[in-house]
Amino acid sequence: MNSLLLLFVALGVPTLGVLVYALVTGSPGLRRHVLTRVALTIPMILILATVVFVVLRVLPGDPVTSSLGPRGNPEVREAMRDQLGLDLPIWAQYGRYLGSLFTFDLGNALTSGRRPVAVELGERFPATIELIVPAAIVAVVGGILAGTLAGSRRKSATDYGLRMFSVAIYAMPVFWLGLILQLIFAVQLGWFPVAGRIDPIVSGSLERVTNLLVVDSLITGNWAALGSALRHLVLPAATLGLILLGVFLRLTRVNVIETLQEDYVAAARARGIKEGVIVYRHALRNAMIPVITFIGLQVAILLAGAVLTETVFSWPGVGRYLVERIGLRDYTAVQGVVAVFAIFVSMISLLVDVVYSIVDPRVRY
Amino acid sequence: MDTERLLPEAPQPEPLPDWEEDLARVGLVRRAFMARRWYGPDWWFVVIGSVIVIFLTLVALFPQWFAPHDPSANVGPRNLAPGEKPDVEVLVSLEGSGVANLRDLASGDREPFGVVVGTPSSEIARAAADTIGEETGERIRLRIQRFDTLEEMLGAVADGSVRAGAGSNIAIEEVLDDYPGVTIQGSLEGAEVTADTSFILGTNQLGQDVLSRLIWGTRVAFLVGFAAAAFALAIGLPLGLVSGFTGGKLDRVLSLIMDSIYSFPGLVLAIAIAAVLGASIFNVVVAIAVVYIPTYFRIVRGQTLAIKEAVFVEAARSIGARSWEILWKYIFPNVIPSVAIIFSVNVADAILTGAGLSFLGLGLPPHIPDWGIDLARGQVAIQTSWWLVTFPGLAVMFVVLTLTMLGEGLIEIINPRLRDR
Amino acid sequence: MSGEILYSVRDLVVEYDTRTGPLRAVDGVSLDIRRGEILGLVGESGCGKSTLGKAMMRLLPRNARIAKGELLFDGQDLMSLSEEQMRHVRGGKIGMVFQDPMTSLNPVQRIIDHITETIKTHKPDASDDEARERAEFLVERLGIRKDRLDDYPHQLSGGMRQRVMIALALALNCDLVIADEPTTSLDVIVEAKFLDLLRDLRDEFNLTILMITHNIGVVAEVADRVAVMYAGEMAEVGDVHPVFAEPAHPYTEGLLKSVPNIALDEEELYQMKGGPPNLLHPPAGCRFNPRCPYVMDICVSQDPPMFPVHGGGGVAACWLRDPERKRSESD
Ligand SMILES: Nc1ncnc2c1ncn2[C@@H]1O[C@H](COP(=O)(O)OP(=O)(O)OP(=O)(O)O)[C@@H](O)[C@H]1O
Ligand SMILES: [Mg+2]
Repeated sequence: MNSLLLLFVALGVPTLGVLVYALVTGSPGLRRHVLTRVALTIPMILILATVVFVVLRVLPGDPVTSSLGPRGNPEVREAMRDQLGLDLPIWAQYGRYLGSLFTFDLGNALTSGRRPVAVELGERFPATIELIVPAAIVAVVGGILAGTLAGSRRKSATDYGLRMFSVAIYAMPVFWLGLILQLIFAVQLGWFPVAGRIDPIVSGSLERVTNLLVVDSLITGNWAALGSALRHLVLPAATLGLILLGVFLRLTRVNVIETLQEDYVAAARARGIKEGVIVYRHALRNAMIPVITFIGLQVAILLAGAVLTETVFSWPGVGRYLVERIGLRDYTAVQGVVAVFAIFVSMISLLVDVVYSIVDPRVRY
Repeated sequence: MDTERLLPEAPQPEPLPDWEEDLARVGLVRRAFMARRWYGPDWWFVVIGSVIVIFLTLVALFPQWFAPHDPSANVGPRNLAPGEKPDVEVLVSLEGSGVANLRDLASGDREPFGVVVGTPSSEIARAAADTIGEETGERIRLRIQRFDTLEEMLGAVADGSVRAGAGSNIAIEEVLDDYPGVTIQGSLEGAEVTADTSFILGTNQLGQDVLSRLIWGTRVAFLVGFAAAAFALAIGLPLGLVSGFTGGKLDRVLSLIMDSIYSFPGLVLAIAIAAVLGASIFNVVVAIAVVYIPTYFRIVRGQTLAIKEAVFVEAARSIGARSWEILWKYIFPNVIPSVAIIFSVNVADAILTGAGLSFLGLGLPPHIPDWGIDLARGQVAIQTSWWLVTFPGLAVMFVVLTLTMLGEGLIEIINPRLRDR
Repeated sequence: MSGEILYSVRDLVVEYDTRTGPLRAVDGVSLDIRRGEILGLVGESGCGKSTLGKAMMRLLPRNARIAKGELLFDGQDLMSLSEEQMRHVRGGKIGMVFQDPMTSLNPVQRIIDHITETIKTHKPDASDDEARERAEFLVERLGIRKDRLDDYPHQLSGGMRQRVMIALALALNCDLVIADEPTTSLDVIVEAKFLDLLRDLRDEFNLTILMITHNIGVVAEVADRVAVMYAGEMAEVGDVHPVFAEPAHPYTEGLLKSVPNIALDEEELYQMKGGPPNLLHPPAGCRFNPRCPYVMDICVSQDPPMFPVHGGGGVAACWLRDPERKRSESD
């Protein structure tokens, strides 16, 4: 079992749990819904994998020449072509590629000493997870609270202020926000390190268990490493989180405004329910439903943002790996990253969709 | 089960509120102006947004009218902070002496060239002469004559004992009035430097003017943004129309493909495409457009489905209109407003994605002035030159902000669901 | 029926800020509601019935305001209450039932939660069990099995949901229920059952009901008295029988004539000419004058006050009922 597969198993267990819960406790309607959704996930992954294949193999460009250079030894070239299966007909290559996806064997990288791509990704994925999870939490919690505030005080100064903020945040390129935070808080004020994931000095003393440095330093009780890892995490996570926060703020605001115009809100007011209860219990819960579905789609923005954020902060995750390998024309590696992203995105969107159908009683019963 | 059941709810036409009737009575132009009162800030967003977009389009079309310098030439000293006076080694000579440039000294007879001891002037002058010599193929050999003070050197230039001299711009300007006839001709490298020469936003590591690069960068940003959005529209709109209208297998397959692409991180896809296609503006446009096709497809398809069911299309069908006629006459005009809104938001998005691609060093050939490339170069010097990462990012933000403000305002005005009831 | 007045609206003016200027949706309306009665409020669509109903609970949308007038409920001046005090009146003393039962309940909240939430809002020290007991008693009384309390709104039929809305109004023994077109979206059989239920409840719970509707038939069926509104003003108020037998306002007459079944035994179904006026620019004088078959000179220039009719049992805003004029005619 390779480390990447291990990782996906770790991610897959909660998804499976939710699926089983929905199937066991749900009504026949919900069961059908969940099963259809699962059935749709596989073609979705296949389609994305195919798009990647078409882009990388069918479009012009020869991976061997670009990775070995024009002067490569002809024998080495031949061996490499053979190993990559480049001499096979295109459909056979396609079959081989799909097969490798489902076994999580993503082939060997063309650079970095031909290490298996799955192993390389397995090493880097935890860094990306460690970056996007806090970012997502900041974004979802902050965005929903701020969006509710803005939506419930529509056209007030708070609303206009928050709207301007969200639009400004949206208009910022992720990487620029990263650069500016770096400039202010790392270069000028020196509060946080400019780049990297952990101080090289403490890094050696940290025993790796999960490769999530915060988690590792917590379970091994290595406080110096924990401090260093957290200090390195603040700026990249804030960058990514703020960008998404703007998106959630906008979405929540619109939905809260729409829900506050619903009849049942007027009816609740007519029953003398407190305004705060109306906004946070009645309106927010209903407004949340479309927001939850949206979280699934935001995973895409999160990953795209991670590619740029990791580049800015030299964060050794999958995104930076992708950019590096694109520069080196390492097609196997690029293919692997994109495939893993596709599986990750499909899995999260499946998870979100099923959670949504459990949360919304109209779907559930 | 309860025996009571609801009758199917008949659609009840809401009577138009009075103000909407009034609105319907006035002409389009007056309506736009009256709208100011009804929509408040959103109206201003749209108006101000439109004005800025028009101005920026002008800048994108004719950057040479606005840029003070050539964006790709090294027009000043390196790493000059915004507003900082360029302290350059300049060439001084007597007015009318025919020497306006180091090149003019190449006549071979090794005329004396004045410098002040203890300044870097002679070194810089030699280096500059070598560069110019390499360019023109004509070796310039300077006969350097050293003076103890700047005043002595300027005096020698004034009385003609040396034909030209070099010294610090700022130091010379202070005393220049005492030597009638002596003028500053420009930097030793040949760049024009006068008392007025300034670099409002500073210069980069190559001595290029940051402001001029910003202004020229507008061109690429707009080109990429509009072309990619238009490309995506041109493919997504017809696909959405046909898919939604015909339904069936085709619709299911297309929707699945589009949904898959839509759910995937757009930038990653664009990175892959741009990397494979190689560096050119057109390839960047294609890479970005592919990412946004599903956006149009989904909206257009959804609306087509909804409108297809609407009563008036039923009516059109019963009086025997052909299907393409229904598509063209009834459905197409109805999807235009939402497509327009998406387009304005989409252009902004495409500009962001384009900047991201070039920041990663993908897509654009390096000689094109572009904000993303400038930001990538700026990051290298982030410890010393804050202005290099600040201004190109502000430029991206400003453009995207304007387009978004326009789009947001339009949504708020057009989308009746959000209107005050 | 006791003559005690439960709710008295005095000279109420409600204005909406619209994009083309202030719109007076309710213009100088006075209305007395007596304890224990069912008062029907009728009028064409857009004449301001719902606005009046909402104003009575001070529940107007943000672009509306009460420009003038008094709201006296049970001897209390509602206009002088703070928002917090007003909140306790809503749901505690005055309940409201809306037109569309499909959308008036929170889709992600169980029925029982709606009821307990209402009870606990006004009686913070009521326990969950007490609230549940009350809820069970109410829904059973209203003909819904108590195990349906744990359902979500979309699992109930329209008629059941409307009864749940009533249960919510009864949860705290409201004195007054304002029902805004409660039966419009129900089918005829369900509507009839619902109206019967309302009458029973009125007696049993000592309710007072303001029934807003544009369906004259509903008024005829359940109401004791009727108030007719036209274009933001009150046209006629009186006991149902005299008003229906001998309408004192030409608008009431027109309304009655245009309704099948209870049309006065004269000609066939009647179509009133014209439509309601634009409230931004109402006609001068009596607002009904452009459509009135009996229009006189004075109607175009002067707005009629309320004149007593039916031997003092009712009032009507029509110059035809001016006692001065009658006297001068008989001279
Ligand atoms: N929120 C609002 N903003 C502006 N004008 C409004 C608003 N609500 C109602 N109006 C206007 O006020 C007038 C009265 O509306 P109201 O809803 O009270 O009528 P109604 O008698 O209840 O009609 P219906 O029988 O259709 O319910 C109408 O002209 C309407 O256009
Ligand atoms: Mg109404």
